[in-house]
Amino acid sequence: MIEDNDIILKQAARVLTPFILIYGIYITFHGHLTPGGGFSGGTVIASSLILNRISSGNHGSGPEIDRMMGIASIALVCYGLIKAMGTFFPDFTHRVLPRGIPGDLLSGGAILPLNIAVGFVVACVMYIFFCLIGEEA
Amino acid sequence: MSSVVHLANNYIYIASFTLFLIGFSILLLNSNLIKKIIGMNIMDTSVFLLFISQGYIKGRKAPILEGGGSVNPAEYVNPVPSALILTGIVVAVSVTAFLLALTVKLYNLYGTVDMDEIIEIRRSVDGNS
Amino acid sequence: MKRITVGLLLGAMLVVLLSTVSEMPQFGSPSNPTHNYISSRYVGKSALETGAVNVVTGIILDYRAFDTFGEATVIFVAALAVISVLARGGRSGD
Repeated sequence: MIEDNDIILKQAARVLTPFILIYGIYITFHGHLTPGGGFSGGTVIASSLILNRISSGNHGSGPEIDRMMGIASIALVCYGLIKAMGTFFPDFTHRVLPRGIPGDLLSGGAILPLNIAVGFVVACVMYIFFCLIGEEA
Repeated sequence: MSSVVHLANNYIYIASFTLFLIGFSILLLNSNLIKKIIGMNIMDTSVFLLFISQGYIKGRKAPILEGGGSVNPAEYVNPVPSALILTGIVVAVSVTAFLLALTVKLYNLYGTVDMDEIIEIRRSVDGNS
Repeated sequence: MKRITVGLLLGAMLVVLLSTVSEMPQFGSPSNPTHNYISSRYVGKSALETGAVNVVTGIILDYRAFDTFGEATVIFVAALAVISVLARGGRSGD
């Protein structure tokens, strides 16, 4: 896809990737204060991974599909465990996880860990979609 | 005459139905598989627009609470349809991804993405064997 | 021939849908049947019970967190389906 002497593209992608990643993490973490949340934040994080993979040569380099599936399954199981603890032990989300004042970052009980889990699942899945559908061979 | 005024006030529903009919005609009239997938995506978007627009109330704000203290529910828009459509959007994305995977598989097998040519190839294969 | 059939079908659908729009309630009026006690309870008690300022996030991750779990499962199964159709280079024959 990209020849190996496209050094401007590679360097520009290396400079841009941290900013896109920070933007995606901000959207995910502030899901209970501003519009956003796990799904849109996960898509933006996936776009930074995809930019890295596209711009780095003929054989795109990046994490393997097996590792991404492992991360997504662990994140899904963590979502289920946190929700199950909240259902069966009713003061899990009131005592252990921070309740806080509405408007802080560390508030809202189980909402912040669930947002992070959903962000992981969506980012890994979008990256797998691109690796399999968008690239040949 | 009053029904025309009523129709003109419900412009959102007319836009949603127009998008639905446009997507449906794209789905029916093209023989390229990628264009059919695009038409299906436009139909999905039109249904989301119809559903989310049920929650709007004139003159109220978006449902981000401000002013800590007492909350008056009479100054915020209905948040329930937006929360329900989030699941629908994710399902639409999943279906599109699976359709695209099947199209890649068809292209690898037949060498073309056109529905008519694929049917011709299948017909000639079945007629010969 | 195909275009004429499609045009007639779309015209019939347009007539049916426009007659449905004329029966629907007014867009944006506060007395629609979709605004009932559930939405006012969710908006009114969201800061107290969930602690989230964004009411939509409080709904999908606290009041109805099980639906979001099913939705994360749906997108995970879609990834599994795409892998099972398209991935190559596995072990062949054992």
